[in-house]
Amino acid sequence: MLVLRRRIGECIAIGGGIEIEVVGISRTRVKLGVTAPRNVQVIRKEVIPVAAENRQAAELVAAGPEGVMETLRLMGVIAGRG
Amino acid sequence: MTALATDRTIHSPWLGDIAVNAECELYFPGGLPGFEDHHLMAPIEIPSHRPLVYLQSLERDDLCFVSLPVYVIDPAFQLHLGEDDRAMLCLPDGCEPAIGSDVLCLVLLRKSGPVVEANPAAAVIINLHNRRGVQCVPPIGDTAAICRLGSDGRWRRVC
Repeated sequence: MLVLRRRIGECIAIGGGIEIEVVGISRTRVKLGVTAPRNVQVIRKEVIPVAAENRQAAELVAAGPEGVMETLRLMGVIAGRG
Repeated sequence: MTALATDRTIHSPWLGDIAVNAECELYFPGGLPGFEDHHLMAPIEIPSHRPLVYLQSLERDDLCFVSLPVYVIDPAFQLHLGEDDRAMLCLPDGCEPAIGSDVLCLVLLRKSGPVVEANPAAAVIINLHNRRGVQCVPPIGDTAAICRLGSDGRWRRVC
């Protein structure tokens, strides 16, 4: 891993039109500003698994009402539990 | 008078036609992870499906999430909002919102193979005072809160 030391206002250029600037530093956090082409998605890494979970969640209804009805049955909300 | 002008009808392929009053619209400034371009949702309750709450996109008719209030899944849930999430919700500094009166906490349900799972650590938080919403994002690898719906109708942690 490449490790660089930067001060507030200083940048790192990654290539492909992507730059990262140190905008602010507090005791435990660093605030970064990212400049990138519009087609480059910039997200916090921990968002990736939640996005995958959400895409699965969107399929629960999209697959048809069966998944929801099964959930309701399991929860005992409607008849046919278990 | 003006409310009627701003009501809208969603033609959901799953829930049918839904008239949504403007006062029910929820605004997610950053969208939801994976759906960052969708900022407007509406909570839909079907009496016979309670306690389920459908989160219906107001920008894409076929986008709808099934959710449950967090306490249905995890009665011991405690809300911990990060600085960024608090800012998204426009919560005043130092405000510790109460679930139910200040904020609504919904957990999205998903099918994982044959089972239904939910992750309370990734709860959707809605500020009831301004209808702004945000989804919590747990640290990478933190799967401790994931719950699975058992065949007995009870939610249990996977880990």
